Amino acid sequence: MQATFPLIVPFLTAIFGVLVIRSSARRRMIFTASAGAQLAYAVWMLTNVSANGPTVMFLGGWSAPFGIAIVVDHIAAIMVVLTALTALACILFGFLEVSVRNEHPLRLPLVQFLVLGINLSVMTGDLFNLFVAFEVMLLSSYALLTLEADDWDVRQAFPYLAINLFASALLVAVCGFAYGLFGTLNFAQIAQRAQEMGGDPLLVAFGMFAMIVFGIKAGLFPLYYWLPNAYPIMPIALAALFGGMLTKVGIYVLLRLFGTLLPHDMDYLYTTLAWLSAGTMFFGVLGAASRTYIRGILSFHILSQVGFMMLAISLMTPYAFAAAILYMGHNIIVKSSLFLVGGATMVLNRTDRLDRTGNLWERTPVLGVTFLLLALSLSGIPPLSGFWGKYMIVVAGFTAGEYVLVAIAIITGLLTLFSMLKIWLGAFWQKNEATPVRTDDRAWVPMTGIIAVMTVISLVIGLFPEYFIQLCMTAAHELLDKESYIQLVLGTAP
Amino acid sequence: MFLVSALLVGILFAVSTYLILQGSFVRILFGFILIANAANLVLLSMTGDPRGRAAPVVLDETVPMADPLPQALILTAIVIGFAVAAYFVFLLYRIFLDWKTDDALALFAKKKPTDL
Repeated sequence: MQATFPLIVPFLTAIFGVLVIRSSARRRMIFTASAGAQLAYAVWMLTNVSANGPTVMFLGGWSAPFGIAIVVDHIAAIMVVLTALTALACILFGFLEVSVRNEHPLRLPLVQFLVLGINLSVMTGDLFNLFVAFEVMLLSSYALLTLEADDWDVRQAFPYLAINLFASALLVAVCGFAYGLFGTLNFAQIAQRAQEMGGDPLLVAFGMFAMIVFGIKAGLFPLYYWLPNAYPIMPIALAALFGGMLTKVGIYVLLRLFGTLLPHDMDYLYTTLAWLSAGTMFFGVLGAASRTYIRGILSFHILSQVGFMMLAISLMTPYAFAAAILYMGHNIIVKSSLFLVGGATMVLNRTDRLDRTGNLWERTPVLGVTFLLLALSLSGIPPLSGFWGKYMIVVAGFTAGEYVLVAIAIITGLLTLFSMLKIWLGAFWQKNEATPVRTDDRAWVPMTGIIAVMTVISLVIGLFPEYFIQLCMTAAHELLDKESYIQLVLGTAP
Repeated sequence: MFLVSALLVGILFAVSTYLILQGSFVRILFGFILIANAANLVLLSMTGDPRGRAAPVVLDETVPMADPLPQALILTAIVIGFAVAAYFVFLLYRIFLDWKTDDALALFAKKKPTDL
């Protein structure tokens, strides 16, 4: 019962917000309370999982494989915590960005539906239910994307919608193939039967197909071009939530797919994924270097870092999986905060075009320090949080003997630093006489506060990494351990 | 039976991909509606050959029952596909109102004045 709280609470909050609450101020209060409660519950869930091990629950009381299993293991709990944290930060930031009177009444309910979709995606143990969760998440993301878009920007929703509709159709087909191949849609049973089929070429075809579908959702090269143009059109609080969470759900599914569902001997798939991820990180960071406004640079960076995580997944060792999870956690926090820094810049400079921003270091050094910490963390400078994830990925790559891929990853890291410097020089360092710094708009003070809290979290991960690495190692072992998963869900030894 | 449905799925996917790659909004919309149905058909054909099997509602124990699960899944997929299609229609209509065009390529021919 308790496992469904991360699903029921956002759902009820959203419904309540749409149907019952009429006043924006009251809606804000209730949604903040709900988001805070969700974060507290998620943290409790994570501690509970690490203390007592993973739990499973069946919707409607129908036991597996007939009922839909809701599995709360380490990776699911980690993802729920990160979702709740990002959602809370973005909801609060949104309050400062838009005044109560101008807030769109559907914004907060849609954010809660988005959270519901993400939580269901990471907790479900059923392939078709995963499709439904993706659709809940995507439909709210479509609506949020166009909710406050102007006449020019609304066109960017078209490619976003087109590629995602295409991927959703393929996902339905993947469910069909899975049912045809395995005769079940339950993750545990798929894992069991895929192992029995071992070496069947149909499995490789299925894996490739599924990889393309979830690769589109995660922003895999060369199917990523819909992302960096669509995210900048949103209000920055929403862009931070999207940029932090949405592609990472695709990464989570890839972890689950390669770790738990499919047998561990599909080298052809792993090689393909490794080279596609190299393309993703390299071209993503080149795209970032070519952009000249903060949101554009950060949107392209999402892709580049998704490439890192996919590279780690393709190495297929527990250590590499742990690296992917740690890097994902770091990236969700840091990437969202960087978007929020962009939001503060837009308040202070009234724009985020780097040729019109400036003077921020002089006038708001606190914001400058947080940005510097976040940017250096993103580029992987020790001892900040990004360093540990990248270090583990590089070590895993060397252990696997993938020197070319590791070289690409390191070059990408340098280029990341370069494009972060671009923001630093343009917005903070540059003395621009024509640019006023509107410190009279007091919204920037609490905004910087929110960013500072997120930065402190990222610093804690960076300075005391033992606990987090341990947690990620446990999660990685759990993902790769099919037997325990099957035992947990089906209740019988395989 | 499998061959027939496989061919049909193939043709539907080909036709819908062709339609999606067109410029006109209406054709793109039809393409997406069609591709959702092609995917649903993949799901449905996993029921296997229905000949000689009873519908899942017939409680006759002498006749084997057709697999009801893909039909239940497909129902969900259709409902979701319908919702997404409705949203897509509204998006295309809004773009049409804002841009006075129904050509997808014309949308990206111009640069926003404030873009770099």
